[in-house]
Amino acid sequence: MRHLAGWLIICLIVGLLCCVSGCRRETQPQIVLRFWNGFTGPDGRTMLKLVKRFNSENPDVHVLMQRMDWNTYYNKLFVAGIGKRAPEIFVVHTNAIVRFAQANFVRSMDDYAAAHSGEIRDIDPNVWRAVEVNGKHYGLPLDVHAMGMYYNRRLFREAGFVDASGEAKPPRTREEFMDAVRRMTREKGAEGQKQWGFVFANYSNTAYAFMKQFGGKFFSPDNSRCLINSPENVAALQFCMDMVHKEKAAPSPENFDAWVGFRQGRTAMTFEGIYMLPDLQKQKDLDFAGAPIPQVGPQAATQTGSHNLCLRVDLDARTTSAAWRFLKYLSDNSLDWAEGGQIPVRRSLRESSRFKKMTVQYQFARQIPYVAYLPQVPFVFEYNTEFDLAIEKALRGSATPQGALDLAAANVNKIIARRLDDLRRAKGARQ
Amino acid sequence: MKPTRLNRWSGYLFVLPFLTLFCAFVLLPLIYGLRISFYSWELLSPAPPRFIGLGNYHEAMTDPYFWKAISATFRFVALVVPLTVVIALALAVGINTIPHKRQSFYRATFFLPTMITISVAGILWRWFYNGEFGLFNALLANFHMRIPWLTDPTWAMNSIVLMTLWWTIGGPMVILLAGLQNLPDHYHEAAQIDGANSWQRFLHITLPLLRPVLLFVVVMNVIGAFQVFGQTFLLTSGGPENATRSLVHYIYQTAFNHYRMGYASAMSWLLFVLIGTFSLIQFRWLRER
Repeated sequence: MRHLAGWLIICLIVGLLCCVSGCRRETQPQIVLRFWNGFTGPDGRTMLKLVKRFNSENPDVHVLMQRMDWNTYYNKLFVAGIGKRAPEIFVVHTNAIVRFAQANFVRSMDDYAAAHSGEIRDIDPNVWRAVEVNGKHYGLPLDVHAMGMYYNRRLFREAGFVDASGEAKPPRTREEFMDAVRRMTREKGAEGQKQWGFVFANYSNTAYAFMKQFGGKFFSPDNSRCLINSPENVAALQFCMDMVHKEKAAPSPENFDAWVGFRQGRTAMTFEGIYMLPDLQKQKDLDFAGAPIPQVGPQAATQTGSHNLCLRVDLDARTTSAAWRFLKYLSDNSLDWAEGGQIPVRRSLRESSRFKKMTVQYQFARQIPYVAYLPQVPFVFEYNTEFDLAIEKALRGSATPQGALDLAAANVNKIIARRLDDLRRAKGARQ
Repeated sequence: MKPTRLNRWSGYLFVLPFLTLFCAFVLLPLIYGLRISFYSWELLSPAPPRFIGLGNYHEAMTDPYFWKAISATFRFVALVVPLTVVIALALAVGINTIPHKRQSFYRATFFLPTMITISVAGILWRWFYNGEFGLFNALLANFHMRIPWLTDPTWAMNSIVLMTLWWTIGGPMVILLAGLQNLPDHYHEAAQIDGANSWQRFLHITLPLLRPVLLFVVVMNVIGAFQVFGQTFLLTSGGPENATRSLVHYIYQTAFNHYRMGYASAMSWLLFVLIGTFSLIQFRWLRER
């Protein structure tokens, strides 16, 4: 009897195993898509919610999201890419696209664009053009995180900068801006502390926006010469420097934690990316609003970036189609993404009543037609290091705008010369 | 007992696991790095690596950023090493005078920060140092003072040194305390009978006897200080205006932000030679005297 029971159990187990393996053979295994990004702030939680929703709606695909700080993110991504271990899907900022395209491990998105032409037509032409390298597009833009102006409505009302209805009225022209900056800089603000009219929160991007407004050039068309010391850029940087050292209407970088100062209500205006919005929304006692940055130069411009969804170059057809489904899902649902402090890239979504209710995002989005991406050069990280240092020196007053930008241009030109030399040798080696 | 063949080999067998790991993760990368340092080796360049002889070393000699990083590193070493040794010695001597039972409390208290990882310590101190809501400036506000701890090029390095002292003082202190407790009592007793006061005894008995331990502490500290990275990376990112960008930090940026492996390797080897030279000088100097 015991023998019989034993045999029955064995038969049962074997039968079950056969069934399971049979079933397995019929259905294909789940596709796992690794998705890397640098969304470590509140944006990461928003993205995780979207990923979870996608996973539950698509049982045959499992997206595995991994977040890391942007600073270390690009290092890890490059090293993984070079070692052929890059994730299937990853996020790249627009100004880094060229570098990734050159590194040869990003897949062109042109076949995706052909298959989803309606979706692509919905993207602003300047935003879509920005991901183009040598005639091919290397990423699907998800958002346009333009820099805009955050202003303290209470301080504006107190200083009398109001419209007919008594609401705070943000400045739009150079005169209005400088008037507001001067009049709202006070020795003693609300709590007896120094109050500033304006503060350079992200000084590189702010200076870049002004340089673009002054009509500054950064590189020759073929990227063979760095032009950041052009007269327009020097004038723009001089304008920034004067606000700090001549007008004394903005604090020098070493004396003030700019962003915290704005949060504490001690600064009337500052320029920052839309992604900083959740940080301000947490500050319940801060009465703030968003507006396009004032036009102080001859043309309108502001700095921007975009998060682009990129695919690894060597995906097979099945993985590619699953990845496309995920990309389309994120793009279609980018209003959810916008809630967390972003501006969706698709115009139809920006025209929806839901987006119009996101007042700060809506105000910042008005700048999209004239946004300026940071220079897109293959040596973008070296260039950024030099540019940031030059702006920092000028704002601190440890170098003149001309001197700081001359030095930066000379250093960047050295990098260009080294790269050109490398390219010549590479060509020589191939011939 | 006559050594058998097995006995002769057993020593090597014991070191084999370590030796394997040492070769795989230290020696071979070191040699490979030396090789790379003679090449123009750019990870993302379309050109294949090419031999350029001493080109990278020559670039370092003419690179103002390299010299700025060297000067920042030297400034850090010159501040942190003497302060660490003096404070650790003072703490060790102080704790040594406390009755034995109560010593462990103080030892543990001073050692505790050493057990915190640099990421936690770095973020904690970044808050302490914040100009607007930081602890230090909040305290200084009572005296109507304000210090730009991390945002002023002249202050930033001092702030990093202060944080490093808090973070690392425990290790040398424990080693020096152990050294002090191993000193034989009879020298002190003899000197006491001869009428030497406590300062004289410290100067002429404790310090000379403690020299081997001090040598160890100084050498290890110099080596560690030359390799400063975590503090500058987390607290200031090398700023303001590169005032706190140490050599290791610059090497890291060159290798992993700009992907110039050849140049980064050459600078690493220069740092290696620098540390080696300094360690040798200290060994000679402290041993001979």
